[in-house]
Amino acid sequence: MAVRVNGLRMRFGGTEVLHGVDFDVRYGEVFCLLGPNGAGKTTTLEILEGFRPPTGGKVQVLGLDPAAQSARLRERAGMVLQECGFPRQARVAELIDLWRTYYPNPRTLADLLGVVELTEVRNTQVRKLSGGQRRRLDFALALAGDPDLVFLDEPTTGFDPEARRRCWAAIENLRRLGKTIVLTTHYLDEAEQLADRIAILRAGRIELTGTTHEVAVRAGLATRISFTTPSALRRGQVRPPHGIDLSVRGPESVCHTGNAAMTLRLLLDWARQNSLGDLDGLAVTAPRLEEAYLQLTRTNGDHA
Amino acid sequence: MTRTVHLTVRQAVLEQRSFWRSAEYALFTFAFPLMILLLIGAANAGSHLPGTDIKRTTVFVPGILAFGVIVAAYVNLGSKVAVLRHDGVLKRIRTTPLPSGAYIGGLLVSTVATVIFITAATGMIGWLAFGAAPRPGELLALAAGLVLGTVCFATLGLAISSVITSAESAGSVAYASFLPIAIISGVFDPTFSGLPDWLSRLVDMFPVKALAEVLQNAYAVRPFPPWNLANLGLWTAAGAVFAVWRFRWHAT
Repeated sequence: MAVRVNGLRMRFGGTEVLHGVDFDVRYGEVFCLLGPNGAGKTTTLEILEGFRPPTGGKVQVLGLDPAAQSARLRERAGMVLQECGFPRQARVAELIDLWRTYYPNPRTLADLLGVVELTEVRNTQVRKLSGGQRRRLDFALALAGDPDLVFLDEPTTGFDPEARRRCWAAIENLRRLGKTIVLTTHYLDEAEQLADRIAILRAGRIELTGTTHEVAVRAGLATRISFTTPSALRRGQVRPPHGIDLSVRGPESVCHTGNAAMTLRLLLDWARQNSLGDLDGLAVTAPRLEEAYLQLTRTNGDHA
Repeated sequence: MTRTVHLTVRQAVLEQRSFWRSAEYALFTFAFPLMILLLIGAANAGSHLPGTDIKRTTVFVPGILAFGVIVAAYVNLGSKVAVLRHDGVLKRIRTTPLPSGAYIGGLLVSTVATVIFITAATGMIGWLAFGAAPRPGELLALAAGLVLGTVCFATLGLAISSVITSAESAGSVAYASFLPIAIISGVFDPTFSGLPDWLSRLVDMFPVKALAEVLQNAYAVRPFPPWNLANLGLWTAAGAVFAVWRFRWHAT
């Protein structure tokens, strides 16, 4: 495991903000801590990065204790903080080159510029870069030492769609290099787009962990099957299928199921028996993370 | 060890390059003292200190040397570190394995380079324009005074950086905290007098006058209270304690 977190607790003054957080991150995966603002994502990350010693629990990053062995950790883990400035007058290539001297086995400058797509602005002063370019420069600096693990704290917050897409592309490039990536976000589409596995953090607790699909299933969501309502069904000449909770909403018929394969088989059998053909417009939609997330936050809101 | 030295030098090189790229920093640090040197120097050329045969400019030039040291080491370094902290550059450095000593060392080395440039330019221009030169045999004393002043004011610069809370005010706070003292310390006018007794005693306690007198003494035989060196030493120690105590890697 690249990261092990066990019973992690954090207290600021009299307020506990992390109430026993557990998760593991495997080598080579993109792991996303997803949660609303104030859930404790950044605090968790700061503990993993060795900036804060935790109040309780066990944390291991690349086999190291981050608080006690922060110097060694920093040689092997790249960190992109939420907000962090650059020296105002430095040029892109110059700054990356300086950062390379900090590490025992740096990546080459050309390579770093390529991964984050900043080759064209290599001689531009940092203060003239756009927000998205600055973020990609953040990535390049975090990658300078060729780390095994990269932390990204809300990498695209406040970006326009184009800048986000280019950041995502850069993160995809990191993944292709085989880096383990731990990122936080409160954007669902970002988690869905990038993450191999997700942990949903809410009010200092992990609510669910797994792949996007697993999270959706564990949240009790069903697969949605829909097709164009056959005219015979609409006119009442054909009876709806047995054992399927089908709702006919005008031109579209929809059902939700926990077992997509079986429901699909039943549906197609029913269509054949009633000479309805292959069911026009048949669509099977896996449960979306968004629905799981919203449902989760809603149910928890009720508890609270 | 060699690695730390190498890292320090690389850091210093980027700092120096950035310094010269920033018109505002370079202008204030470099051009301002030289401008004062030429303007006030020209106004005083030809006149002598009352009751002596010492030319005013001979004492005025080392005063501007002191001014240059203070601007480069105190104003420039102090506001620079405040801006770096405010911008989150210091915070970013903490995400790397760069030893903090190498980083601060790089800033200091770059500051020393700026001091060398500025004092060399001031000394040369003072000599060429007004014929002001150190007394024979006092060159070493002058160099020692410059080193002592640089150490003292760079330390105080690091200390003041922790007091400055915004990047916008950094330069003004640093300037405003020493310019009035520089004026009443006689940096620009060695015969400056007429202060109330208490104020002149207060001014004597600051390191500005002490540094100016150390440097002036290398140019002309001047009253030289021995406690000037102790003064600079004490301010350095106090500045170092405060700088270490208050130093933060991130803006609060």
